[in-house]
Amino acid sequence: MVKIDESTKVDSAVEAAIKEIFNGDKPWVTIVWDDPVNLMTYVTYVLMELFGYTREKAHELMMKVHTEGKAVVSTGSREEMEHDVARLHEYGLWATLQRGDQAL
Amino acid sequence: MTNNDSDEQHGFHRHGDNAFVAEFSESEREVLINLVEQIIELLAERTDNHVDDPLAAMVGITTHDTPPDDEVLLRLLPNAYADQVDAAEFRRYTESTLRAKKYAHSMSMRMGLKSAIDGIIEVDHDGANDWLGAMNDIRLALGVRLNVEQNSHDELELLAPDDPMRGVYAVYSWLGWLQESLIVALMDEGI
Repeated sequence: MVKIDESTKVDSAVEAAIKEIFNGDKPWVTIVWDDPVNLMTYVTYVLMELFGYTREKAHELMMKVHTEGKAVVSTGSREEMEHDVARLHEYGLWATLQRGDQAL
Repeated sequence: MTNNDSDEQHGFHRHGDNAFVAEFSESEREVLINLVEQIIELLAERTDNHVDDPLAAMVGITTHDTPPDDEVLLRLLPNAYADQVDAAEFRRYTESTLRAKKYAHSMSMRMGLKSAIDGIIEVDHDGANDWLGAMNDIRLALGVRLNVEQNSHDELELLAPDDPMRGVYAVYSWLGWLQESLIVALMDEGI
């Protein structure tokens, strides 16, 4: 086992990178894409049910999907976003996840 | 997405705090059973035939890391990542669970329909969510077959009377209306 010398100086850039990995700035996003089958009210309802969003917030996100073709519906760690995408797929929404810094 | 005005006289209605009721004719009930059974069969076709490792099978790891060839199955079990490598990895660990959940929604709807007395269905909030998921899967499947990506609703409305797709479109539209009535009833509680 590697013994860490307490006096070891960690480079500040490395320290920042490690910090980002562990608690970071929630760099992943879940995106819902528009599709011609899902009802507008259904998309709103599913966003309320799965994420606990208010009707207003869910409606706003649904309208963004409808008018712009896609919307970020949640942000978090990669594992959290994989969980969200799986739940959205369960209810038939067309969802993907990606790094938040990738161009939408 | 699409908008669907629901007829408030039919479809699902809220009864009290946690009950949603609809009454179907015998022919409607038969159509719904037939459709939901097709989804159940379709999901069952994509079984995990060759999982040799019992531990892998136990934790839900499947042999599937490529998307389904069938267009309908692909819409029901879509890729989670644009990147093909990430999508394959995610599918290997999660597709089996997703299929099981969709199967459960459809089985719940099927059981409700099979055990309905006088065509009356009553579901609670969880049961309603099963129905919504199952009805949505049927609509997604029919939507692929109707090619709603390419065909506008106006074009589908104008299908020739002898076009078999005309009947499919009628069922697709009716299901949308039925789904909408249940959503309206659920949202009524001001959640």
